[in-house]
Amino acid sequence: MANSNPIAVQLENLSKTFELRSGWGRNRIRRAVIAVDGISLTIPAGQSVAFIGPNGAGKSTTIKMLTGILHPSAGQAQVLGYTPWRERRELVRYIGAVFGQRSQLWYHLPPRDTFELLARIYSLDRGSYVRRRDTLIERFGLGEFLHTPVRKLSLGQRMRAEVAASLLHAPRVLFLDEPTIGLDVIARQELRDLILEWNREEGVTVFLTSHDAGDIERVARRVIVINHGRVVLDDKVSALRRQYLGSKILSVKFHAPPAPIVLPGVTTLKASEYALKLEVDTRATPIEQVMAEVLRAGAVADIAIEDPPLEEVIAHIYAGGSAPEVAAGDHKHA
Amino acid sequence: MMALRKYTWIGLTAARSNLAYLSEVAARTVFLAVILYIFLRLWQVTYGDTGATQLGGLTLPQMLWYLVMTETLTLSAPRVAPEIDQDVRTGALAVQLIRPLSYPLARLWSTLGERLVRFGLNLVVGAAIALLLVGPIAFSAGGLLLFLLALPCAFTLDFLGQFLIGMGAFWLEDTSGLLLIYSRITMILGGMLIPLELFPQAVQPWLRALPFSSIIYGPARMFVHPDAAFLRDLIVRQGLAIVVLSGAVALVYRAGIRRIHANGG
Repeated sequence: MANSNPIAVQLENLSKTFELRSGWGRNRIRRAVIAVDGISLTIPAGQSVAFIGPNGAGKSTTIKMLTGILHPSAGQAQVLGYTPWRERRELVRYIGAVFGQRSQLWYHLPPRDTFELLARIYSLDRGSYVRRRDTLIERFGLGEFLHTPVRKLSLGQRMRAEVAASLLHAPRVLFLDEPTIGLDVIARQELRDLILEWNREEGVTVFLTSHDAGDIERVARRVIVINHGRVVLDDKVSALRRQYLGSKILSVKFHAPPAPIVLPGVTTLKASEYALKLEVDTRATPIEQVMAEVLRAGAVADIAIEDPPLEEVIAHIYAGGSAPEVAAGDHKHA
Repeated sequence: MMALRKYTWIGLTAARSNLAYLSEVAARTVFLAVILYIFLRLWQVTYGDTGATQLGGLTLPQMLWYLVMTETLTLSAPRVAPEIDQDVRTGALAVQLIRPLSYPLARLWSTLGERLVRFGLNLVVGAAIALLLVGPIAFSAGGLLLFLLALPCAFTLDFLGQFLIGMGAFWLEDTSGLLLIYSRITMILGGMLIPLELFPQAVQPWLRALPFSSIIYGPARMFVHPDAAFLRDLIVRQGLAIVVLSGAVALVYRAGIRRIHANGG
């Protein structure tokens, strides 16, 4: 069932309300807190999705319901055809999880020992386990530290081993919670590339939560933003930047000092004698018109058009900026 | 069969991992040596003053070997309750649920693996000290076998008690107070310092009925004074206590899991 299902995750009006109690006797107060408020979405098998939101938005509660740890108060959910909270024992064989701040590797033992243990935990056939392990060792570059106790590994090496360990039983859905937290730029980039590669080549569905815009940008094709328990945005990552703020960053180098550029919606972010960095609100002035004005301003040596940093876009959404319409049900972008 | 293999492997992995703590084990053995020397001097005075060759049915060398075993059992106890407390508070317990494992069983087997290493190392050191101070006592292969039958049940009982305390983190701000009470009761009423035979006659049946004596006194007594009838009685008491405490663990664990949302985000 798990391997053939074209839908990896399907939620229908999924809700979770917690009841908080305080006080004693006649002063006892009960208060309902809505953590997840009617989330509906569909994630096709093989898609990589960033599931993001500010602290307390309902991300963890949703993930706990998707992994069968929590029962919802209302609504339905299916992960690989299983209802997580009713069929958790069956489901966990087909899902993997990496929690950036919680290790599944044995600290005093080399990664190889954890792999051996996981093979027993998931009751893997010896032959297929060895093949899978060797593939992961090669692809994740674990060979050089496979026999080194985890306590002696760098954080980057440890996280590579963590992700490889979570893929050992060939999960169909991989939950990644802040997988690159604390890593340096190079280690972060390496890990993102590995996750992306595995998503593309093995078709594993990636469900990523991260506060790092780079993770979202590099690993995910689709982004789902939740806040106050509701989906406030569900779109392609590329569309998120393009459509949401509708702005571009234009960096231009000139052969000679340029003439000033004055257009509606164009803000100068940085200026030096021969260079300009402009932020362009394309809803006020189309980018083509700005380009034409730049070419008129002076002889151009180099020019680059970039999307605004994703951090800004996400911060804007969290801050409650004018949310675009949720593309609920529009999941053609794989 | 697969399940047994899985949990046995967890135990073996925990045992291997624990060998990394050899410096901690060495520190404990120094403590063990000091404690045993002090107790030897105290019991020498006690035996000398009373003029008795046996106290509670044990000679002075047997008494020291009894203490070697009770101290070894006590000092080999892993930090189960604080670790479970942390699992609950940090949300690590929720992470464990995303694996095809029973959390209590995985914990039990890793504790048994860890304890086996600690127990073995402590016993080697303790036995060496006892040999040096009072020499050997009579051991038989059959007696050691009876002792080895009682040992896993004692470890399991102690695990269940500590597991219940650790699970208290779902409801309590701090479980360290409970653990302190538990460990002190196990030491005193469990016969770590004094064999139960030296307690007042009236309280002895009560102390034997409590699970604490099945963790410390029972196995230690079997070690120095093997007796098939005593073992039968001990195994029955250990079995009953394991059934009751396992039921309590199942109930508390189920109730705790329902509260998991409040812990660890």
